[in-house]
Amino acid sequence: MKKTLMGNEAIALGLVHADVDMVSGYPGTPSSEILTTVQKLQKQQDLELYAQWATNEKVGFEVAYAGAIAGKRTAATMKQVGLNVASDALMSASYIGNLGGMLLVSADDPGFHSSQTEQDSRVFAKFAKIPVLDPATPQDAYDLTRYGVDLSQEFEIPVMLRPVMRVCHARQIVEVKSEHDFSPQKGEFQRDIPRWAGVPRAGRFKQGEQLLERVEKLERYNWEHLLKPEFDKCKGGRVLILAGGTGYGFAKEALEDMGIEADVVKVLMPYPLPVEKIKEQFADYEKVLVVEEPMPCIEEQVMDPKVHGRLDKTMHQIDEMSKVYIQEAMRKLGLYEGKDLYPANPFKEQIPARPPNLCPGCPHRDVYYSIMKVFKKKKSIYPSDIGCYTLGINQGAIDTVLCMGGSVSMASGFALADPDKYVVATIGDSTFFHGGIPPLINAVYQKHKFLLVVLDNSVVAMTGRQEPPQRQNKEVDIVKVAEGCGASTFEYVYDNDMNKTVDFFKRMKEEYDKADGPVVAVVREFCVLDKEKASEQLPGEFVTVNEDDCVACDQCTTVFNCPPMSYNEKDKIEIDPFLCVGCGACLNVVCPTDAFVLDEKRGK
Amino acid sequence: MRYQVVIAGFGGQGAVFLVKVLALCAGNKNIECLGTENHGMSQRGGAVSCFIKLGDFSNPVIDTYQADLLIGLEADEALRNMQYLKSGGIMAVNAEDDFPAADVYTDVARVDAFAKAKAGDFPIQGLNVYMLGVAARNDKNFPFTLEDLKEAITQMNAKVAAQNIEILEKGYANVME
Repeated sequence: MKKTLMGNEAIALGLVHADVDMVSGYPGTPSSEILTTVQKLQKQQDLELYAQWATNEKVGFEVAYAGAIAGKRTAATMKQVGLNVASDALMSASYIGNLGGMLLVSADDPGFHSSQTEQDSRVFAKFAKIPVLDPATPQDAYDLTRYGVDLSQEFEIPVMLRPVMRVCHARQIVEVKSEHDFSPQKGEFQRDIPRWAGVPRAGRFKQGEQLLERVEKLERYNWEHLLKPEFDKCKGGRVLILAGGTGYGFAKEALEDMGIEADVVKVLMPYPLPVEKIKEQFADYEKVLVVEEPMPCIEEQVMDPKVHGRLDKTMHQIDEMSKVYIQEAMRKLGLYEGKDLYPANPFKEQIPARPPNLCPGCPHRDVYYSIMKVFKKKKSIYPSDIGCYTLGINQGAIDTVLCMGGSVSMASGFALADPDKYVVATIGDSTFFHGGIPPLINAVYQKHKFLLVVLDNSVVAMTGRQEPPQRQNKEVDIVKVAEGCGASTFEYVYDNDMNKTVDFFKRMKEEYDKADGPVVAVVREFCVLDKEKASEQLPGEFVTVNEDDCVACDQCTTVFNCPPMSYNEKDKIEIDPFLCVGCGACLNVVCPTDAFVLDEKRGK
Repeated sequence: MRYQVVIAGFGGQGAVFLVKVLALCAGNKNIECLGTENHGMSQRGGAVSCFIKLGDFSNPVIDTYQADLLIGLEADEALRNMQYLKSGGIMAVNAEDDFPAADVYTDVARVDAFAKAKAGDFPIQGLNVYMLGVAARNDKNFPFTLEDLKEAITQMNAKVAAQNIEILEKGYANVME
């Protein structure tokens, strides 16, 4: 049957249709909807399966991997930078293998749409010596998900599915199985100590040899089942295009646009490649162009004087795929001499950017405002972390962003390197659980002095409001965790009266001055997009401006930076009534001349 | 048939809803469809743009100078995405009367939909559907009829379809010179 699906929904449906009944992962754009869709399907079809968010990607991978050792069909989902976190487990898992099937879904983000790096998970698969499948469309994603789980079981090795954002967040009418009798495999752990607990040197050496054999078998399989049928359709000519994933769709369309007929081979499994077999095919062509993203994974394996791509800069070096890059590559290779088919004619003037900002009413804004008021800009260093609250950068309240949990360890580093300054780190609740705890323990026992503010809104807001641990089970509590690490810990329940928030941070400064190790402030907040909580938390204190009092000092538009506030034609601040959510936070402290007043017409 | 649409706006304007409506229309007519959305930071007020390609295509991205139609839910976002339009395409845009239509290299169908919403013509949440109506009426190559759109909107959510269809018809009533 046909269904309009987003790539991530297609992957989720593929998992269910592959009888996968354990899915574990950590949210991260563009991968997040895979696991949430499995959860939806579970509810809709009353399926007996496990689909849960893990505390981080490494944990998610390991839960799923153990399931596959025990004979189940499992999957772990994450974004590409999450794979960095899971990589320790992955590197060993490839040696050890599995009896059931395990699909590792690592979603890449060429073009940095919502990621801090443009890394290529296929290269990671090659590094770990596990097979990787590269879908071009949601249809491919559905098909290759099922294929990958089967392949993992057949070859007893984890298989990676590597969709890029333009697959995860693409929508297509997809042909899917209309009926599926969900029949997961029974989990039954079989003791095999030399395999599941292989130790260096002899144990792992043997597994290393077995891994090499497995890779060779996979190369032959890749040729027989996937590549040979593609090459059999080829006619030869001036140029052969080797295309990976989305590159295939871009290449097909670009060639048609240019009016060029050429063989395009879709490389569904970019690792491991039967290199010699592929190179034999090059005899029928003058040149070979590799079209893949974001890194030269196929190209590096099939290096040859005829091969062109990213390594010799025939293709672009950074940013996501676009047909214009293929057109330019063909031009460089002397294969296209026509006009530019994709001229860019932007509007003649610069259009103001529309940077993302914390939502109106977001408690993070008040916390950042208060921190800056108390700790000041010049005398402090502000490391922060990955999440919505990174948008505190708009308030000048963030100096560094590195990776998940990095704020805590970097606070240690800054405290050691520049002890004359206050160090105030900010981290969200889910990020704290993900990667913030080991560095906190490190700071406690080594007595690094800083203030760590945990912004606890009890939701993974940036990636679509998934549930963090404490939301599902209140026994997990950040205050207890921080206390258990040995940190001097304080709790503050967010209040929309900013005087109280400022007073709390004044107290934290006093504690900081007295402390000889890290001070942790857990701020209990809510997310305005969290329908369950926001309606009861937002007080309905809508605000308007007393224009006579506004002196256009910019304080509210720079340091507070709430989206409804802007200057009107009279150079006075105006509040957009459509955007204001009535949090009332700006009624106190924010305006030095108290120009913000309660909008009596909208009432309380 | 090949037809490419860019929908541009900012977070909360319902651009993705229009993608779903067009995808349903395509499905109903047995036309292939492939699209993609840039919605990374949209919930935080950032810009949103969506691509939808109807017909025989193999990748979901629209390159510069390729789109038949640009639906601009807001003036700046329309201008930011103008370069995707091909010569001979059309821009259907929600903008005030100072919109620099003369600097756009295609036909422009402009309606001040914010003003109409403020005047009570339709609820602001329906701005996306209103602009879809404007686009459908004023692009002579638009591949779906008003009835096709109504059918898809009903399939999306039958309960709220009546109000959306009313807004769609109001948008459809805007005939440009």
